[in-house]
Amino acid sequence: MSRLNKALEAGKFPVVAELKPPKGINLDKMFSPVDFLKERVTAFSAPDNEHARLHLSSLAACRLLKEADLEPLLHLTCRDRNRLALESELLGAAALGIENVLVMSGDYPTLGDHPQAKPVYDADSVQLLQIARGLMAGHDSAGLPLDGAPNLFLGAVVIPEAEPQGPQLIKFEKKVAAGARFFVTPAVFDLEKLRSFRQVLASHPIKLLATIKVLGPEAVAQAREGRWRRVYSLPPEILGELAAPEAEEFFLKGAQIAGRLLKKVKDENLADGVYLKAQGRADLFTLVLEAAGL
Amino acid sequence: MIIAERKPFAEIKAAVAPFEKILIVGCGTCVAVCLVGGEKEVGLLASQLKLAAGLEGRHLEVGEITVERQCDLEFIRPLCDFVADYDAIISMACGAGIQFLGELCYMRPIFPAVNTTFIGVNQEAGLYSERCLACNNCYLAITGGICPVTMCPKGLLNGPCGGTLNGRCEVDPDKECAWSQIYQRLEHQGRLELIKEILPLHPHDRRTTPGVVIHPAYKRRYGAHE
Repeated sequence: MSRLNKALEAGKFPVVAELKPPKGINLDKMFSPVDFLKERVTAFSAPDNEHARLHLSSLAACRLLKEADLEPLLHLTCRDRNRLALESELLGAAALGIENVLVMSGDYPTLGDHPQAKPVYDADSVQLLQIARGLMAGHDSAGLPLDGAPNLFLGAVVIPEAEPQGPQLIKFEKKVAAGARFFVTPAVFDLEKLRSFRQVLASHPIKLLATIKVLGPEAVAQAREGRWRRVYSLPPEILGELAAPEAEEFFLKGAQIAGRLLKKVKDENLADGVYLKAQGRADLFTLVLEAAGL
Repeated sequence: MIIAERKPFAEIKAAVAPFEKILIVGCGTCVAVCLVGGEKEVGLLASQLKLAAGLEGRHLEVGEITVERQCDLEFIRPLCDFVADYDAIISMACGAGIQFLGELCYMRPIFPAVNTTFIGVNQEAGLYSERCLACNNCYLAITGGICPVTMCPKGLLNGPCGGTLNGRCEVDPDKECAWSQIYQRLEHQGRLELIKEILPLHPHDRRTTPGVVIHPAYKRRYGAHE
């Protein structure tokens, strides 16, 4: 059983810190927060070509984390691989000692930096979970037997603020049925929405990681200018707090807000753990965790 | 029907620049309805080419003809009689029509005047929108008559992606999320149960290109297995 799985099962409110795989092979920046955080977080995650922009692979990043005796969380999107490649990636991950996997559809290529790339989506996230569960049971998606089955701890994404909520809930239930054991939300700023969504999830045997994020100036500028197009909302009072003119001051304020939100999520038991995004910066991660008393 | 868009004139002109005698063949069905490759558009392209050649002091002879359907041998076979009089052919049909005509008139180079865009509907005058990717595994009975393969850019079969926002599509917010539409329609019809079952992986082996279909009544004629 992975460390993340154990921590969630034991109710230890694990923290997963999101690292930023580089666009290139210089790993220094990606690993810079690790030394500061390794005693305070349960796992480190590495997105898979986040926002459809090219980065070093999640698999490579996770293996490097594993070599440093850290707990990795692999991201696997359906955007760039057909079922053969997805299955091969999962087998490869397991062989490299990676157990935690977060699956998702993946942002569409036209939204990223390779807009002319062929979108794959051979499987959707529900089907990918089924594929992974099949591998764990010893067979591939064609029903053929494996020589050695992987052990995976499977997660997926759920959107507490989805509008309309009906279609998302149907998909959420399919993900649970397909084998998702934990769920990660998009960034949460409106705790009231998370509170009500937590009630919806209460009857399901899953663990929830709420994402707490240190916002950057660009996101807030979008909100101020009415260009906000994200699946989570930014309450006006938080927008008001993020009025700092200097970028550094802005990030510090963002980290304080994130820390405050994180503390409330933990204290009110709004999630079973947290998925922390802090621009991949050691100082911001530390500030958030200190502000939350973690 | 098949929707197409006319290629830029400069591209067509450059493709046929080496030739002095060109036949432009229009198609009177889909591309005529979407106003890119019917009789009128053949006339327009012929005028453009002749005008451009005239301005450059080049000799250019352009023949014009429009057939009912270029994707049907019955309608293109008569062209064999006079295609040999030309150096090159420009087809204004969809990709299927262009290839079929090129196959028949293989002794002459053929050039496309349109880009074939999609299988769609004539929504309003001059407004066409896609509806079908010809996946050969129709899900419309399950998904309320709205195709997730085509109407969702990701072709997701089990519900919306995480990027949908206020019922709009992540990829193009001007468009509705296909899964929001599917949900609404089935909810309205009291048939939401249909999309609560997990749909399995799509059988892409049913759509290996180039596709061939033999009507059951003709299987013996073409030597296909019953």
